[in-house]
Amino acid sequence: MTLLTDEIRALVGRRKVYTAPEPFGRAAGRYYALAVGDLNPLYTDDEAARAAGLPGVTLPPTLVTETNQYAGLPIDEEGYAGHTWDLDIPGTRQVRGGNKYTFHRRIRPDDVVTATWEITGVEEKTTRSGADMLIVSSRATYTDADGGPLAENEETLVFVALEGAK
Amino acid sequence: MSALPSVGDRVPVLEKTATAVDLIAYAGATWDWHRIHYDPEFVAAKQLPAPIVDGQVYGAWFVQQLQDWLGPRCFVESLEFSFRNLMFAGETMRCEGVVSAVEGDRVTVDLTGTIVGRDGADDRVGVAPVTAVVVVGRADGPAA
Repeated sequence: MTLLTDEIRALVGRRKVYTAPEPFGRAAGRYYALAVGDLNPLYTDDEAARAAGLPGVTLPPTLVTETNQYAGLPIDEEGYAGHTWDLDIPGTRQVRGGNKYTFHRRIRPDDVVTATWEITGVEEKTTRSGADMLIVSSRATYTDADGGPLAENEETLVFVALEGAK
Repeated sequence: MSALPSVGDRVPVLEKTATAVDLIAYAGATWDWHRIHYDPEFVAAKQLPAPIVDGQVYGAWFVQQLQDWLGPRCFVESLEFSFRNLMFAGETMRCEGVVSAVEGDRVTVDLTGTIVGRDGADDRVGVAPVTAVVVVGRADGPAA
């Protein structure tokens, strides 16, 4: 058990909050829908949306979980300009474990989103091949301008020891 | 589809190919300009065969698949997925699902995303297990 240091344990509870500087807007949803190849009229056609009982077009549900757009961070040398925990764990490689999204309502073009990220847990495990790995769990909570719930995104990052075969 | 599905019902298969253009478009739409998603030199230096598809897009594909199947009056309430293998530019994922539970108006669907080889045969699992809970009969969620 070498990866789970006191310093790593102290990460639990760390938070970062990002608030979008403007409403989401219709174009953002239309762009994302086109990019993922989802031509559902709920995203682009007010009449189709109203026929389904919605007040108007909404954005594709998973777009809210793309936090870079709220972060307002500079572009780093690898081209990335988004939220990270800046976790540099020597002797490991980082892989993504998975995500769990929970949605409370559809996102509307006039929503101004706040994303609140928090590290919720750290634990050490051993891979099937015997390498140590550190699992870092975090959760983003997305709220509207009034603090109302929009969605949550629980994310797992895994740091696998490079020379950890026992 | 308007009636509630039953346990064992299969979701119509959705196949998605992620071309280089798709990766660029997704990078733009999500403000994620990491070079690993489009820059051949960067990718070669990382000893990868091609740019990596951003795994978050699988979530969008599964939502598309579920909404196309259940129609405009449904709401994906949760979606959980675990990454298994990287997917590279030019590859195709086949998304499949089967209903595993129906409780009231809530339908639970177990899904998988399989990466198809260039010969059309299954090559490797990209994302599994995937579990979605969809509320049928209304287009929006409880906080609407």
